[in-house]
Amino acid sequence: MGSASVKGEGSANFIYLLKQCGVVVGLALIIYLIFSNADMGYDFHWAVIYEKNQTYKEIFGLWLLRGLLLTIKISVISALFALGLGTIFGIGRLSLFKPFNWLATCYVELFRNTPLLVQMFFWYFAFPLMLPEAWVSFLNNHNFEFVASILGLSIYTGAYIAEIVRAGIQSVPKGHTEAAVASGLSTVQTLRYVILPQAFRVIIPPLGSEFLNNMKNSSLAMTIGVGELCWQFQQIESFTFKGFEATTAASVIYLSLSLGISLVMNSVGHHLKIGPAKKLNLFDILLSKMVAPVLMLIRILPGAMQYFTQKIRSQTDDEIEISATVSPLKLFFNRVIAVLTMTFKGILLALIISILVLSVKGLINFNWGVIKGNFVSLLIWIYPAGAESGEFFNGLGGLSISFLMAVISISVSFFIGLAVGIARLSKNPYINTPAVLYIEIIRGNPLILVIFWVYFFSPIITGMDINVFWSATLAFIIFSGAYLAEIVRAGIQAIPSGQTEAARASGLSGFQTMRHVVLPQALKLMIPAIVGQFITIFKDTSLAYIIGVFELTTVSQTISSRLMIYPFEFYISIGFLYFVCCYSMSLGARKLERKYAS
Amino acid sequence: MRMTRKVVLLSILISTLFFAGTSFAGPVFDRVKETGVVNIGLQFNSIPAAFYNAKNQWVGFDVDVAAEVVKHLTPYVGKELKLKKVKVNNKTRISFLTSGRIDISTSNMTHKRERDKSIDFSITYFFDGQKIMVKKGKYASIKDLVGKRACAMQGTTSEKNLANLYKSLGDTETDKNIVSFQTAADCFLALSQGKVEAWSTDSTILLGYAAKMPGKFELIGDFISNEPYGMGVPQDDSAWRDAINFALQDMWNDGTYHAVYNKWYGPDTDYYFPLTEQIEMWP
Repeated sequence: MGSASVKGEGSANFIYLLKQCGVVVGLALIIYLIFSNADMGYDFHWAVIYEKNQTYKEIFGLWLLRGLLLTIKISVISALFALGLGTIFGIGRLSLFKPFNWLATCYVELFRNTPLLVQMFFWYFAFPLMLPEAWVSFLNNHNFEFVASILGLSIYTGAYIAEIVRAGIQSVPKGHTEAAVASGLSTVQTLRYVILPQAFRVIIPPLGSEFLNNMKNSSLAMTIGVGELCWQFQQIESFTFKGFEATTAASVIYLSLSLGISLVMNSVGHHLKIGPAKKLNLFDILLSKMVAPVLMLIRILPGAMQYFTQKIRSQTDDEIEISATVSPLKLFFNRVIAVLTMTFKGILLALIISILVLSVKGLINFNWGVIKGNFVSLLIWIYPAGAESGEFFNGLGGLSISFLMAVISISVSFFIGLAVGIARLSKNPYINTPAVLYIEIIRGNPLILVIFWVYFFSPIITGMDINVFWSATLAFIIFSGAYLAEIVRAGIQAIPSGQTEAARASGLSGFQTMRHVVLPQALKLMIPAIVGQFITIFKDTSLAYIIGVFELTTVSQTISSRLMIYPFEFYISIGFLYFVCCYSMSLGARKLERKYAS
Repeated sequence: MRMTRKVVLLSILISTLFFAGTSFAGPVFDRVKETGVVNIGLQFNSIPAAFYNAKNQWVGFDVDVAAEVVKHLTPYVGKELKLKKVKVNNKTRISFLTSGRIDISTSNMTHKRERDKSIDFSITYFFDGQKIMVKKGKYASIKDLVGKRACAMQGTTSEKNLANLYKSLGDTETDKNIVSFQTAADCFLALSQGKVEAWSTDSTILLGYAAKMPGKFELIGDFISNEPYGMGVPQDDSAWRDAINFALQDMWNDGTYHAVYNKWYGPDTDYYFPLTEQIEMWP
């Protein structure tokens, strides 16, 4: 890759690109032909997007644009808050001050192991019940839907960013710090010139994909009545019954948004790369001009970061005294920092204690008998009593259906991921391009959209009706297949190329090499990531609520709407159920990781 | 060997995926006659039309009507039919019909001309109208609600009617003031928590929820619109539609309809809603 560029290489690359484009155009043509020739009992009417509708006197495309603006607004604001939260708690995860560390760990584990949908409902419907009346009415008068969606998204994404920040700081070997100090750099200089530049190189790429996820997750705000992109396309669907066209339009918009974000992030990653500089093409140069403000921010950020880390280090690494002679000014400065640190610790402790006391007090006051009486329903719904009325799976529902969906999805999508992941690594453009298209299109769209896609699309294409359970499961399979493909690709790429070469040299065929040498090793490496994907899918099953699958979230809503109204009890309880399942699985994943790390 | 077993397992999985709950395309009437099974789409979160009661049984006015229609279809189809209940919500009830997943939709669905473009309807079997519910004693008339926030369910006619009403009353920020949620339960929660000042939908749904907290809510103003409920049936299958219409009229004539109506909306129920109209009757 990094070898000197031969003249022929450029034209070979060009031909490869041409072939790829050819495949894309070919696929598009095939799809077009299928659509225009096959009679699918569906009347396509694309004008619904851009024409002025005669019945409603509205141009629906404008609705989509309005939704897009709100999506961008929510994404940007929540990403900023999430970055702040993530930085604070990421550092907290490494702090030697136990209460802070403990708080950060709780925060990260709690919010990463419950579905965002449940969190969203919690912030909107349940959380205000804990607040004083006056605050609640203030919030209700100030667009609380928007506030709650920002709150939910930033706290959720923040938990993921915290782990990224922690990993980034930990990624810098201790030897670097020691070497820098030994060579006479001050602590500030060590941080500024040695640790942070390296940590940020590690942090930026995953941070970018986290921002991307955050944008896609903003689609969940529709469940609490925020009129963002996803909400708007459904509005169009409900006005015109043209679900297929509206979903397509929304998909294209999401895809371009994702593409834009990942291009910017790639370019940023480009600038941060260590090693021989890669030749920039025109596109990269153009982008680098566009991302100049982002880069500025990155240059400023280490300063801010450094302030925090330094503060923590100064409280923890007291034994390391660097300079022998201390100026009085510096002494005074140290005093100030020490006092500040103490107050910070005090405030933090007080905060933790008050949160604990408040939540215990709050939790006791709620009516937990409701949950006790309906706990079995939450787990299995009315199974097996649904048999006589011919209900799906004899009326199985609740947690067990969520679990079943996740198990089926992961087992089927594993094989899809394996095939597509290998196909993506193929050098043949006819095999590689469809794989790339599948992965990027699916990963560029929010899961809700994939669910709607399968839901609208499967009856049109197959002419058969499938139960919503299977419709949702199919969506999860297609969705996680794309993510698993990337996991498989990374796993295979982690196997040293020498092994493949040795296997080929000893006479094994390409398939045998894959089957007996590369895959067994790669799969071992992938197991923790696959478990992680399983947890994600398990959490995501809550989204099947939108099309009415009787999984845990729908069941809890059904019970809660029948018995008077106990949103707090129900959202806390199902959040807890999801948490117990996800957390125990992630503990298992970590164990596996340690086992296979050697 | 291990691989083949995996392959077999996988193919079983995929085939169950595609054939689960399969029904065959074609005229509904003939298929129902052949298989003896009617798939009826019912809601599950709508009180008192179709909901799960304290024993987690699926009950309600629509559920009973559906069961009776199936019984009364026997003379027209020529054999005893079996009812299969399918859960639908506001988002799925029409697409389930167009895709053939259900044969009848009995799910609080107003007969609208826009909907008639995609599906057909039976004669009106229930006469509802849209109203507005607020917290008791807070608002005297609908006019007072201008500039205040109100909610509706996404994808319903009441959402559109409410927006039109707000605009006609001179509300300038209708887009901001009307919030749409996914379910009736969400709407009621939002109203009872004061997130919105009003909730508008068909009056029987409002009555059903208001009965959960007696004395706390009231319905204000006149009907905003007429909401004649029809049973949704697949497009262009007149034999099927005729059979359902005859069954509904027979139910009315033999008193079954009134018995079911009184069970759910009679004076002794929590959801009292007098029956003032008569269904279309053909001699």
